[in-house]
Amino acid sequence: MGSIIELQDVSKLYGFGDATTLALDEITLDIDEGEFVAVMGPSGCGKSTLMNLIGLLDRPTHGTYTLSGKSAEHLRPARRAKIRRDTIGFVFQFFNLLPRLTVIENVALPLAYKGIGPRNRMKQALNMLERVGMNSREFYHPQHLSGGQAQCVAIARALVNNPKIIIADEPTGNLDSAASRLVMELLSEIHKTGSTILFVTHNPELTRYATRVVYMHDGAIVHDEQTAIGEIASTAREVMYTLPVKTEEDDLAGVSTLMKAVPHAAKPPRATAKKKTAKKAGSTKTRRRATRSKV
Amino acid sequence: MSAVLRGNLRMALSDVRGAKWRSVLTMLGVTVGIVAVVTVVDIGGGVKRQIVGTLQHFGPGLIIVRPGQVSDTGSGLGNGKNDVLFGLSSASTLSMQDLQTVQQTPGVSTVAPLGVVPGVATVDDHKSSKVFVLAANSNAATVLNQKVSQGDFWSSADENAQTAVIGRNVGQALFGEPVPLGRSFKFRGQDFIVRGIFAPFDNVPFSPTASFNDAIFIPYQTAAHLTQNTASLYVILAKASNPKQTNGVTTAITTKLRAAHGNAQDFTVLNASQSAGINSGVIHLLSMWIFAIGAISLAIGGVGIMNIMLLNVTERMHEIGVRKAIGASSRQIWSQFMMEAAVLSVVGGCVGIVVALVVDGLLYAYSDLKPVISWQAIVVATLVSLAIGIVFGTAPAIKAARKDPIDALRHE
Repeated sequence: MGSIIELQDVSKLYGFGDATTLALDEITLDIDEGEFVAVMGPSGCGKSTLMNLIGLLDRPTHGTYTLSGKSAEHLRPARRAKIRRDTIGFVFQFFNLLPRLTVIENVALPLAYKGIGPRNRMKQALNMLERVGMNSREFYHPQHLSGGQAQCVAIARALVNNPKIIIADEPTGNLDSAASRLVMELLSEIHKTGSTILFVTHNPELTRYATRVVYMHDGAIVHDEQTAIGEIASTAREVMYTLPVKTEEDDLAGVSTLMKAVPHAAKPPRATAKKKTAKKAGSTKTRRRATRSKV
Repeated sequence: MSAVLRGNLRMALSDVRGAKWRSVLTMLGVTVGIVAVVTVVDIGGGVKRQIVGTLQHFGPGLIIVRPGQVSDTGSGLGNGKNDVLFGLSSASTLSMQDLQTVQQTPGVSTVAPLGVVPGVATVDDHKSSKVFVLAANSNAATVLNQKVSQGDFWSSADENAQTAVIGRNVGQALFGEPVPLGRSFKFRGQDFIVRGIFAPFDNVPFSPTASFNDAIFIPYQTAAHLTQNTASLYVILAKASNPKQTNGVTTAITTKLRAAHGNAQDFTVLNASQSAGINSGVIHLLSMWIFAIGAISLAIGGVGIMNIMLLNVTERMHEIGVRKAIGASSRQIWSQFMMEAAVLSVVGGCVGIVVALVVDGLLYAYSDLKPVISWQAIVVATLVSLAIGIVFGTAPAIKAARKDPIDALRHE
């Protein structure tokens, strides 16, 4: 299977002059079709920026981005909108359902932007709601749903155009563990149908759904490992049982502990931190990078 | 695309419903403007119809000789000249000689003088401030083309009699009964007997100071005798024997009168179509003013819509981000906000039309203005409000459409 997402030395800068912040620091990342990638890292490490770049919501400052074999960094806004509509599905931490529309209208919205007639789009939206188990609540408004239900509706909306890629930025960040499991199992099922899924999480437990875990720190990828479905990633496991994971703060605490556990993250920074290791067949696709953080 | 448009329209309607108060306030400007414009057009139409009605009522051959000068243009309001047809408020330069002169002009069939006689009519010491007395001759009913519904008008034999024909409202106002035929009243110390009652005058819109329905008509010679000839002639009404030659006869009267006045043009001779011209000049000026007010109000309404739409765009930035994230193009976002602005202003305009129709109805029922509903005005008003929505909705819609998806999404 070929790479569906290829990032080559992608950087993202915000602000001007003295206030410039480096959100992404020369990220190189290949994601194959059908991968289920968990992206982990402390807050502010650039996970969301990476997701937004991959989802064509944002543009890289430097570097190249190839999506489905086509260069994506110089596309016109209309073309980007079309790709977002047809090949990318977004799931957000705060669901981002439109409060004035009913559940079914929310799900049908991407179809409306595609120009599909009302009857057809309601039918497709209903099918999608059935698939996520929300078909009994099609005429509710989002504010009358629980968090888990709202996220399921948001997933239905992301899926309705049969996108190749699902990007979920902390889909469980705002949910309790039962709802988290519901949402992750849903994503897992979608993954089985062949979709490529990227999700951001703070919860090491959730890496058991992923086929690959990418750790980020200060805008760079510091560790990248393949993992078997059903197993917690080896790095994540090290902190798994030492910290109780009940609240988001625990999650965050867990992450910072996790970063210490990451094999190469704790190494002192090198003067030229741009050395790349060659990609080896059969091994992980990690481009190991030293982090600039001091321990 | 049409599915999207329809979806946007539905969404726009629900947004307008959702933010009721804000929408109502936004629409208010457009509504007021449309009300002003539509009402003015309708009132103008009504006035025009009244003028035409007046002309038809008095017949095409009517010629009016008035004292003083009436200019054709630039006649402002409130200078007394709005009482053009009968000039009851002007000082007179006309005399009984002039009446003779007009009578002797070739082509004139009948002549009637008309003048206000100062004094108060009383019935058993009861008087009415509305009622006034006009001096006329036996031809007045014919020249005014007005029927006497009860009793009859006096004949030429009774020009010296103390007799009177009254307007429709005088009976109730002065005598306390609708048909006081044969009853008498006192005027300047003399007793007058009511011998006839005019059918209601329905079309004398330009004598706001003097509706003929409130007038008591007494013979001119009796009046002259009562006032020792101090009552002056306020207007001479003449009827051309051939209505088609009215303009020619008008000129002939002017020439003769000017000769009689020693070449001084201290009078005005008008026929009905000319006076209509003057009156419509007044109406035109009035219409222009109210139209200007309407236009200003519409412009303010438009700015209001722009303001609210800009606020709306800012407030819903996050929503715009979400929509863009799930695949809305800039064009589709633009179309959504355009649609909302258009819906706001068209709904505002439609409310304005409805209010204008209600105002028309109230004016019709409770005032002398009889507006005529003009469907053209309604169509134009709808189009204008749509245009306002489009013109003033463009900038906010472009602002919404241009927003970078990620910036919009970050906006809370």
